[in-house]
Amino acid sequence: MARDGHWVLQGMRAGIRSQQGYVLWATFVGFGGLAHDANFPLGAALLSTILIWAIPAQVLLIEGYGAGTPAAVIALAVGLSSARLLPLVVSILPLLRSRRGIAAQFLAAHFVAIGAWVEGMRLLPPLTAEARIPFFFGFAGTFVTGGLIATVAGFTLAGFLPRPLALGLLFLTPISFLLALARNARDRVDVLSLIFGLALAPLFAVYGGTLDLLWTGLVGGTAAWLVHRLRKRRWK
Amino acid sequence: MSALFDGALWPYLLVVLAGFLPTEVWRSLAVVLARNLDEESEWLIYVRAVATAIVAGVVARLVLVPGGDLVTVPLGVRLSAVAVGLGFFFFVRRSLLLSVIAGEIVLIGGAWWYAAH
Repeated sequence: MARDGHWVLQGMRAGIRSQQGYVLWATFVGFGGLAHDANFPLGAALLSTILIWAIPAQVLLIEGYGAGTPAAVIALAVGLSSARLLPLVVSILPLLRSRRGIAAQFLAAHFVAIGAWVEGMRLLPPLTAEARIPFFFGFAGTFVTGGLIATVAGFTLAGFLPRPLALGLLFLTPISFLLALARNARDRVDVLSLIFGLALAPLFAVYGGTLDLLWTGLVGGTAAWLVHRLRKRRWK
Repeated sequence: MSALFDGALWPYLLVVLAGFLPTEVWRSLAVVLARNLDEESEWLIYVRAVATAIVAGVVARLVLVPGGDLVTVPLGVRLSAVAVGLGFFFFVRRSLLLSVIAGEIVLIGGAWWYAAH
């Protein structure tokens, strides 16, 4: 148990030093600003950061609230957009397996969103199996705490920020996700899925309907994996 | 009941019902599915490829067809900012933070220039 405390602290330290974390917090500043503009109460915005912990879903919710969209329609849009969390969680959880039981797995899964997934896939593999869960909770907890502070900051700052800077905040999400993917891409299959995803998304955005991101993932990911399989077989 | 839907509590209920539940369903399903997967299995490589392509898709959508205010920044500026960020990362320094800042300077500068002209 004392070792657990050590690894939680190591995780928090990694969270504070993570460049991905700084960028993530900056996107939460943008989210706080969005909440302010939509007349969404700060308390509810903070609750969404804790309970939803996925920026695209939070943005959908607040935009829907601001536009007066029926709750059922918002729930459907959030549900469809969040299907992308499934492969993220499925791919990171085997790294977080331990004798701690299923409750720790469900709690860990709640903290998985793009930012924590990217950092987890980079930082967890070198650690021992027993160190990973406390380490993960350390850095994910730091990410969430920083996200809450940033939400308050953005909510308070909104209206003061000059327009080009506000636009810069909105741009932080795509540029940081893209660079994090590029940094994490080690194998050919990672690079191919990245390129296929980028190339297919505009196509499915036009022809894929509301499920376009899932189509992008399934078609792009499958194609990347098939190339990886074929090349591997040829080398044997 | 209607007081609940019109009142000050409504945004909080909305977060739980329309935000928390529809996202947590996927995470919980993933926990059940992941239980018997081997860390090195070919299936997991496949799932990771799908996850990576989805995140790449999110990026492409946010840059090419943004839903919010970002659409007011000309596409050329958005693409230049991405190119500068990536170029900095691969050819100058492999630092996430500095590369993000390089891309941001192009975007903010471009947005400012277009607003002024």
